[in-house]
Amino acid sequence: MSMDLSISRHWRLRSPLYRLEGARCKACGRVHFPPKKACPYCGSRELEPVELPKRGRLISYTIVYAVPEGAREYSPVYVGLVDLGVTKVVAELTDVTDTSKLKRGLEVEAVLRRTRVDGEAGLIYYALKFRPSMGVPDV
Amino acid sequence: MPGPRAGIHGWGAYIPAYRLPLSEIAKVWGWHPEQYKGLAVEEKSVAGPDEDSTTMGYEAARNAIARAQVKPSDIQSVFFGTESKPYAVKPSATIIAQALGITPYTMASDLEFACRAASEGMRALSGMAASGLIKYGLVIGSDTAQANPGDVLEFTASSGAAAFVIGPEKGAAAIIEDSVTFVTDTPDFWRRAQEPYPLHGEGFTGEPAYFYHIEGAVKALFERTGLKPSDFKYAVFHQPNGKFPVKVGQDLGFTMDQVKDGLVTPMIGNTYNASALMGLARVLDRARPGDRILVAPFGSGAGSDAYSIVVTDTIESKKTLAPTVDQYLARKVVVDYSFYSKSRGIILTIK
Amino acid sequence: MTSFIEGVGMVKVERHYEKGLFDLAAEAAFSAIDQAGGASGIDYIIASNALGEVQDEQLDLGGYLASELGLRGVRSLRVEAGEASGLAALAIANSLIESNMADRVLVVGVEKVTEFQSAKVYRHLQMLFNSNSRSFYNAGFAADAGLLTRVYLDTYDVDRELLSYWPALMHSNAKENPYAMLNFALKPDKVSKSQVMADPVTLLDTFPLGDGAAALVLSSKDSVNNPLAKVSAIESATGLGSMELSDDPLTIDSLTEAYRRLQNVTSFESVDVIELHDSFTIMGILTLETLGLAPKGKAPELIANGAFSINGRGPVVNPSGGLKARGHPIGATGVYQAAEVALQVAGRFPGLQVRGAKRGLAISMNGLGSNSYVALIEGVE
Repeated sequence: MSMDLSISRHWRLRSPLYRLEGARCKACGRVHFPPKKACPYCGSRELEPVELPKRGRLISYTIVYAVPEGAREYSPVYVGLVDLGVTKVVAELTDVTDTSKLKRGLEVEAVLRRTRVDGEAGLIYYALKFRPSMGVPDV
Repeated sequence: MPGPRAGIHGWGAYIPAYRLPLSEIAKVWGWHPEQYKGLAVEEKSVAGPDEDSTTMGYEAARNAIARAQVKPSDIQSVFFGTESKPYAVKPSATIIAQALGITPYTMASDLEFACRAASEGMRALSGMAASGLIKYGLVIGSDTAQANPGDVLEFTASSGAAAFVIGPEKGAAAIIEDSVTFVTDTPDFWRRAQEPYPLHGEGFTGEPAYFYHIEGAVKALFERTGLKPSDFKYAVFHQPNGKFPVKVGQDLGFTMDQVKDGLVTPMIGNTYNASALMGLARVLDRARPGDRILVAPFGSGAGSDAYSIVVTDTIESKKTLAPTVDQYLARKVVVDYSFYSKSRGIILTIK
Repeated sequence: MTSFIEGVGMVKVERHYEKGLFDLAAEAAFSAIDQAGGASGIDYIIASNALGEVQDEQLDLGGYLASELGLRGVRSLRVEAGEASGLAALAIANSLIESNMADRVLVVGVEKVTEFQSAKVYRHLQMLFNSNSRSFYNAGFAADAGLLTRVYLDTYDVDRELLSYWPALMHSNAKENPYAMLNFALKPDKVSKSQVMADPVTLLDTFPLGDGAAALVLSSKDSVNNPLAKVSAIESATGLGSMELSDDPLTIDSLTEAYRRLQNVTSFESVDVIELHDSFTIMGILTLETLGLAPKGKAPELIANGAFSINGRGPVVNPSGGLKARGHPIGATGVYQAAEVALQVAGRFPGLQVRGAKRGLAISMNGLGSNSYVALIEGVE
């Protein structure tokens, strides 16, 4: 019997993974995600949590066929670099039913999906992924 | 109904993008078209590989909370009604509550009563809100419905979610005038604890189960309220296929006109806990102030609820605050049996 | 202050199922030690390795390596900086010599990447990126290169086919190198047609998975007998290593800074040879452009027209075949690069020799540049 996915690592990061919580630097004003303990731009420790907007635009995307262990059922894995205005994030894309729609500028929105599952009996990791926008509201 | 009442402040739904034509299922398992045409369903919705009842419930709930125009932290109870829990033990309700910013000061639990678990949750919330125990509560019905591959149930067992924010009568988009529940021990359909798929009694799921309990609940509602079919603009029933809700409606004295807008099963199959409730969501997407709606969910095992819901002026401002059921219906891509079997995990693989 | 490379050893990069970590390390280390005239006087072993824990269940590789090499008691440490581990180890070794803490240091880079199925190794390699950003997803190790390549093609309006000249050049160079994993020629038009790793990055844009080990003996001025080359300077810098944090992902920030630091410490006008970090085609392209060896957006065109090749304009880039064709045993790669440049400036490289090479650079980085190292290695008279 073994557990390959850590409980605490995912649990600690629920706010970034479930709600896109990042950090805003009070010294220089820049926002980054996921949140660090000091601003990666100016080095200041004066940070405050900030929830990022859940809608943005694709800057780039890729279609991954060299999927890591445990991801075969999700292959190909779509990954996007998303511009949320205040900062950018890299996240998996989902519900990509028409690859011709994948292009720079596509409006995408964050929704909760499974990302990793630990076998038959282990933990299920959930995280936000981005999909072509349907207008789902932010709450 | 005497005493304080509760109302629906927000509603929402979610349907996955993928649709499996019933003809695909028939091809694989050797069914003749006449054997499933009678179900009056064209395609069924299929959850994608990264979806489950929790993720679907999350999105339906997000839509409901947006329409309710409340802060997630004002929600003090979350009921998740399902028969396809990703964890037998570990509530989906807390995952959704955490993800939506509702935690920590809230009740939360997953309920089971086949397809009517969420409806039981709605009744419980209306009592809790009406009594002032809570200000707002969230009920979600969500299922990735299971069926033994090759069984006739496979044609209709589909995926979807519906959610409602229940609160005080004041400010509600629709008021729950009255409601009643009618249950007996009737084993028409069940799933044993470690089993992946349910068994059912075929014809036994009809008269002794679906029809008996829905009629029992609705007639009890008519009796206590003095309402009759012509008082209702809409009648929404649990819809395991496209025929049963029409028949039970007819038997109870409703017309096709009253039933049709609450029917989603013909397009996407039976979403179990989201079945009648998604029909209700679709009706709320288009209902007018003053419209009275009958809703009668049913769950195997067995039991039914009957609600009389009256729409208020507040509804108009809320309709466009989230995607409608029709928007989810329109977002579709047709898939084949192989996508469905991989997506729903019915191919034997080493994990 | 300079340190001297006295002996080098390399193992052919390959799927060495029959050789474990210590077997590979010994093969390379004994070669280097023998070439340097013996092990006497070795004060330190600096080992570089990135995946020893997860591939081979081994911690304190440095400590155990000492006894495994017959050097029980010698001071030892394993250095890890992801893909940049090898040059990081060289930097530590060089510092020990510069600070008079050691007279002779054995630097050994070793890596096994074939102990598990490739899908598991892809999960391991995902660790080269920020764990909080990536470990909860299934992007794998090539997704960032895929995203970056697409940004490059969009920004400069370059055709994907033009990028393919890079792997073709790498293969052409590697054909001569007996230590290279991929010894076959490659036509550019094959690259875009090969297996997609992370669109538009294909298998032929990507380093192959192979085991390896490389070693060198680094000596102080006073201890050295017969140097091959000298390490004139080595510098490094950390960077954001992330497309989402960077304002200009097409410039490798840590490389810009490491190179600037190198230029503060030493002066030089041009180098004859560069072994650089082309883990993916795009990283090779961006390295040239970040260093100003090619104008932004123009490196692919220059490569296609023969620049940086053995007969072309500019320093010869990756005569070994680079990470693409010589191979990339992750933590060991930097030591290969240092050994190769040392042999080039000594006129003794067993593959494609850059005639009259006197000054060379070895450039290594992790991921998209969380850490970058640049070493200037020069010939001795």
